[in-house]
Amino acid sequence: MLSAACLRHNEGMQSIANNQPNHDPQQLTEHSAPHRAVLARLQQLLPEDNIITDAAGLRPYETDGLTAIREMPWVVVLPETEAQVAQVMRCCAEHQVPVIPRGAGTGLSGGARPHRQGVVLGLSKMAEILHIDPHNRVAKVQPGVRNLAITQAAQVHGLYYAPDPSSQIACSIGGNVAENAGGVHCLKYGLTVNNVLGVRLVNAAGEIVELGGALYDNPGPDLLALVCGSEGMLGVVTEVTVALLPEPETKAVLLAGFAEVVDAGNAVAAIIGAGIIPAGMEMMDKMAVQAAEAFAKAGYPLDAEAILIIELDGAAAELATLTDEVSTLLRQHGAYRIDEAHDASTQARLWKGRKSAFPAVGRLSPDYLCMDGTIPRKALPSVLAEIDTISQRFGLAVANVFHAADGNLHPLILFDANVPGQTDKAMAMGAKVLEACVAAGGTVTGEHGVGVEKLDTMCVQFTSAELEQFVRLKAAMDPQDLLNPGKGIPTLTRCGELGGMHVHHGRLPFPELERF
Amino acid sequence: MAGDCSKLFIEQIEAASAAQQRLLINGHNSKRHWLPAATANSSLYTAEHNGILQYDPAELVVTARAGTSLAEIDAALSEQQQMLACEPPQFFAQAGGTLGGAVACGFSGPGRPWLGALRDAILGVELINGLGEYLKFGGQVMKNVAGYDVSRLQAGAWGALGVMSVISLRVQPCFAAQLTVSGELTADAALALCAQLGQRNLPISGSCWHAGELALRLQGNESGVAAARTALAEFGLMPMPADDEYWHRLQHHQHEFFLPSMQASTDTKKHGPQHKLWRVVTPLAAPMPEFGLRSAADALVMWGGGLRWFYHDDHTAVLAYAKAVGGWCWAVGDVMPIDPMQAQIMQQLANAFDPKGVFATPLSLAARTAATLATQSH
Repeated sequence: MLSAACLRHNEGMQSIANNQPNHDPQQLTEHSAPHRAVLARLQQLLPEDNIITDAAGLRPYETDGLTAIREMPWVVVLPETEAQVAQVMRCCAEHQVPVIPRGAGTGLSGGARPHRQGVVLGLSKMAEILHIDPHNRVAKVQPGVRNLAITQAAQVHGLYYAPDPSSQIACSIGGNVAENAGGVHCLKYGLTVNNVLGVRLVNAAGEIVELGGALYDNPGPDLLALVCGSEGMLGVVTEVTVALLPEPETKAVLLAGFAEVVDAGNAVAAIIGAGIIPAGMEMMDKMAVQAAEAFAKAGYPLDAEAILIIELDGAAAELATLTDEVSTLLRQHGAYRIDEAHDASTQARLWKGRKSAFPAVGRLSPDYLCMDGTIPRKALPSVLAEIDTISQRFGLAVANVFHAADGNLHPLILFDANVPGQTDKAMAMGAKVLEACVAAGGTVTGEHGVGVEKLDTMCVQFTSAELEQFVRLKAAMDPQDLLNPGKGIPTLTRCGELGGMHVHHGRLPFPELERF
Repeated sequence: MAGDCSKLFIEQIEAASAAQQRLLINGHNSKRHWLPAATANSSLYTAEHNGILQYDPAELVVTARAGTSLAEIDAALSEQQQMLACEPPQFFAQAGGTLGGAVACGFSGPGRPWLGALRDAILGVELINGLGEYLKFGGQVMKNVAGYDVSRLQAGAWGALGVMSVISLRVQPCFAAQLTVSGELTADAALALCAQLGQRNLPISGSCWHAGELALRLQGNESGVAAARTALAEFGLMPMPADDEYWHRLQHHQHEFFLPSMQASTDTKKHGPQHKLWRVVTPLAAPMPEFGLRSAADALVMWGGGLRWFYHDDHTAVLAYAKAVGGWCWAVGDVMPIDPMQAQIMQQLANAFDPKGVFATPLSLAARTAATLATQSH
């Protein structure tokens, strides 16, 4: 299921997309000589069907999962081989044309927003599973392969690929690497970065870089980790080697209802404190529960102030005692109702409510804005209270859905874009929520990425020196700033204009602004 | 002794930068025998910059100054029945390594394929770069995709990108039960068995084959480990006594296999010429090499087949083997083999973090060598 359009209308959102560096690659128009030269070269490199230039064909590429932000690309290319990706990149580098890599376009932060003078490089035609190797427990796949397709191909060997972002039926592994995608099983099984063993990528100069392999250790600084979550700004992933795990023998899903949100938070801490790492542990507040129940009929308790959905997995012998332990802890911490599901269909029903929480909330309100902050678990009660206060101050309701196991919050701010001023109000409120997450020792984005959506809140989380370090890092690998320019890292000018930027040790932002 | 020395570090970096001198970051110096020494004008000592700053067991995170000894961290965690799942080695009983050194070198223990690598445990790093700027990346939360992952980039960087000041690592609850089973098997049979068992849902968390014996560590809850014990008995693997000691020795290279290399590192002259210790990283199920060994005791295989150690004197044979199976090899004490493209990226990153070249790292030597080789091959 897709937690797609977090915000459906685009008023007010275009302004946040403007993060162009001061030295815009070249002021090109689509009819400029360099662009004509690039197009002519692309037509030599790729079959006719793999180049899209007409408005109707370009339309599907004007946005990703953050549908509020749209921009028509200049041209879309769909290479079929790594060599073609490299040739496209070299051609664009030579003429200083920006390249926007794109996976399945399910990202929620606008990371694949096109550039009006740039080439969208779609990887959808590189979607082959190259090799499933059960003995080495790895899969080697092309970047356009869907996340779930890897597990489906590995299942005959009793193996699976662990990270499962909610969009896993549609999102691609290349996009997962670019975003360091998460999911509901991260506490136990990690994120994309913890499950990818190797990548091949094409760098900004059009050269092939190979990092890692079917290997559990690599020499030198961890470039593989650097590439994970780099939002297509350091290279274009052309091949991915992932680790496969044996499928758990059995699973159990527990649903617990609480009369107090704080009790649910304490139960989470108690389970982890007891040395238990559940495969998944999700929390929903009353508004989210009621929306989900009305939508999915999952059997959630409507009178609960909060519910926990806990998934345990492992060998059958292990699981029996584990389930008892967790039930006892839940009861000790005030769960007034516990449902245990041991069969797949009941488990699916209990999960269905959580997994349809976003569309369910979408029925309550014409629009919603989805946050992605992460906080230390112990800050859960205080941050929830603060979100409540912020919600009252702004007069907009919030439904809270979150990955309790790892502290990743997805507060959904409800609003109506047709009411003048509400979009801006929702965005201002979202910024306050993220500031609360940062103040509690957390981060503005746990798994959705910065893209263009969270550029402003990055100014809150990082000092100017830290942002400059990011910019120097990017420049080291992409000196012309051609790969996905304007994403991920805000310019100092932008932060300065916001007035919210950190000034470290009384020093003003670095004077060499022209570098950015 | 615990204290915050970060201001001193910044002063030292600024002074070195002004004088165009190079600093070598030095914790306990416990991994000095792993790479050729770097050339530096002076050292920046981190061991006094120590102390656990934050540790709340329910958060599964420990935050400490980089100079904190691994021993201190281990002790604090084990009091709460928690551990660093990545089991970083401490090569010496005294001054066995700092947290910063562990991250900089990026070595992981016997459980790597099952319990994760050191780099997997890194959640946040506060770093002082070559400009003397104090920078914070990552944090104390599991999920964090704000900005580039500069924290994990430090793993294996051997100090090339800055001085780590404070590090947050993910910790894990200790397992309720542990048991090791072992049996006599040839290397080939052991690899085949590991590959077969790896596809099953068993609580395996460590493997070691050496001198004709395979040992598998089982960790989980009581009932899970007991069931696995029964399942593995079918393969002739039987419980091994004193297994805690066995894995401890393996993790910290106190196992008899590693002793010759450790002695060589402390005193090369006394022991005369001897075979190099090769660390070969391979796909799990890659075949064993065909090159001959002086004896079966000259090989040790960990990580379910993913990490193999050999004493051997013919570097071309080992190199050819590693390449043929899609892995890489490194002789302990020699230059780290980094391919030219990665060496180039590394150099560019080093320039981005340390534009004046203040930090001397044993890796920069490797990068230069790789770059030189690349030039020669063109």
